[in-house]
Order: sequence, then C-alpha cells, then structure tokens
Amino acid sequence: MKYTINNISTGEDEVIVNYLRMTPEIERIVNFIKGEQTKLIGWKDKEQKLIDIKTILYIETVDGNTFAYTEEEVLKLDYTLAQLEQLLNDINFFRCSKSMIINIDKVDSLRSLPSNRIDARMVNGEHIIISRTYASDFRRILRKGAQNE
Amino acid sequence: MSKKDDGLTGLERYLLEEIGVEFKACIYFFCYLFFYSIYKLVGGSTDASIIHMAEMIFLTYGMCYLQIYLMNGFDEGEEFRVKEILLSMLCGLIYTTASWFFGWFDKNLTVTIGFFLFVIFAYFCGFLVYKIRRTLESKALNNDLKAFKERGNVNE
Repeated sequence: MKYTINNISTGEDEVIVNYLRMTPEIERIVNFIKGEQTKLIGWKDKEQKLIDIKTILYIETVDGNTFAYTEEEVLKLDYTLAQLEQLLNDINFFRCSKSMIINIDKVDSLRSLPSNRIDARMVNGEHIIISRTYASDFRRILRKGAQNE
Repeated sequence: MSKKDDGLTGLERYLLEEIGVEFKACIYFFCYLFFYSIYKLVGGSTDASIIHMAEMIFLTYGMCYLQIYLMNGFDEGEEFRVKEILLSMLCGLIYTTASWFFGWFDKNLTVTIGFFLFVIFAYFCGFLVYKIRRTLESKALNNDLKAFKERGNVNE
C-alpha cells in the first residue's frame, strides 16, 4: 500500500484515505483514525457485508475459518481470532475458550458449573461454556469492570 | 467442549486434576476418619491406628480417581438420582469390603453395614455441598454481570 506523509506549515491536521476496495487492513486504519471500532466486514453467500459489532453474540473459529454469530445471521470474517481479540479488546468482548470470543453485553445469565467452568446463556438462548482456564479471568473482569481497567 | 480446547498444557491439566482429586480425597477421608473415630470412642478407646488411617487415605485417593475418571465425578453432578445412588452404592460397597478386609471395625457386621450407609450419606452430603456452592457462585456471577452492565461501559 502506498502512503504519503506531508509536513504542513499552516492549516489543520488532516488524514485522507483513498481506497479502491474496503479491506480489513483499510478498515483497521480507518477505525484507528476514528479511535473506535464499530463495524466489521463479513461475508455471507459470497457477498461482503458490514456487521455492527454491537449485534454480535459471539465469534467462533471452526476448521480455521472465523465466523461471527448474531441473532439473525452468521457471517464469515477475514480475521483470525487473535486479531479480533486485539481489535475488540477495548470493548466488552471476552476470549472464553481457545476457539471463541463472546460479547459480554449479550450474555443474559451465568451459571457456575462443576470443574470451575461457567455456562453463559446468551440473549438468544444459546449456551456457551467458558472453560476453566478463562473462567477466573472472566470473574475478575466482571468484578473490575472494563477489560482495560 | 473438549479437554484440549481448555487452553491448558498437558502438565497444567494434570496438576489441576490432581489438585481436584487430592482435595476431594481429603474431604472424604475426614468423613470416614470421623466415623472411625466415633466407632473407637463408643468402644471406649481413644487410640486410632496409623495403619488404618494410611489405608483410608490411600483407598480414598484411589477411589476419587475412579470417581472422576470412570464415574464422571457423579457427586459433583447436577442431580442425585438413580444413577448417582447406584454409583455411590458401588463405591460404598468397595469401601465396606476394604474396611472388612483391613479390619477397621474389627469385622463387626452391624458397624460395617452402618459404615456402608454412612459412605452413601457422605456422597449425598458431598453432592449437596457442591450444589450449594455452585448456586451461590451463580448468584454472585449474575450480580457481577448486572453490575458490569449497569456501569454503562458495555460496547460504548
């Protein structure tokens, strides 16, 4: 990707992004400039779609592919789980197992399970198990507040 | 979720399970030691055999492995129904046979039958303790979740 940096003597600081096609990389740059991450690019039936992060229930990796699940649809994402974990770190998404990230805002209720695991019931009624490795971090996050505090 | 999906290394998983087994073994050992001590006291003795105690702790340790790996940790389950009762009877039978063989209760049939019933009772109490603990934990978790959302910092 080409980029130009100009040192100007007058006027306001300005960033201009020219792109042919919105890619995850461009999207990350734009979101970084905006200081927020509100949407992700996903794929459904070979069509590119923008997905509002707030609507995601959880994100899962299956056979090397990453999918975002909302109450209405499932979209394939062009990110790895590690990238998403980093990208969504500032908002309330939590890595609940090796292959899954959940949106804490979409958790309806929690239930303690044997072997220190936690059953998270999502707002759509689905149950997600938070493994014991991640359960203590999850408890700590709930008690302390936002993940970055 | 498979065990491999818990993000632990083999050694970490082993240590976690080993600690769980030892913790459980200690609880049940103290239960059976209590029964043994009462038997001794009722019989007018204030002495307990170290050999008997060693037998109890090793047997309990082995039985806890059996419970966790072959019996799916039935005393930590969500219910205590026919399957769990049958499994606790099976474990009770093993403990009772061992107690007879090792002479913990001087091969007194009445006390041995009492011990069998006590083992089942101990499993039921264990089940209740784990269940109560989980219920209280769930309540605390849901309170924390509610407070977390009420802070207003969710997805903002």
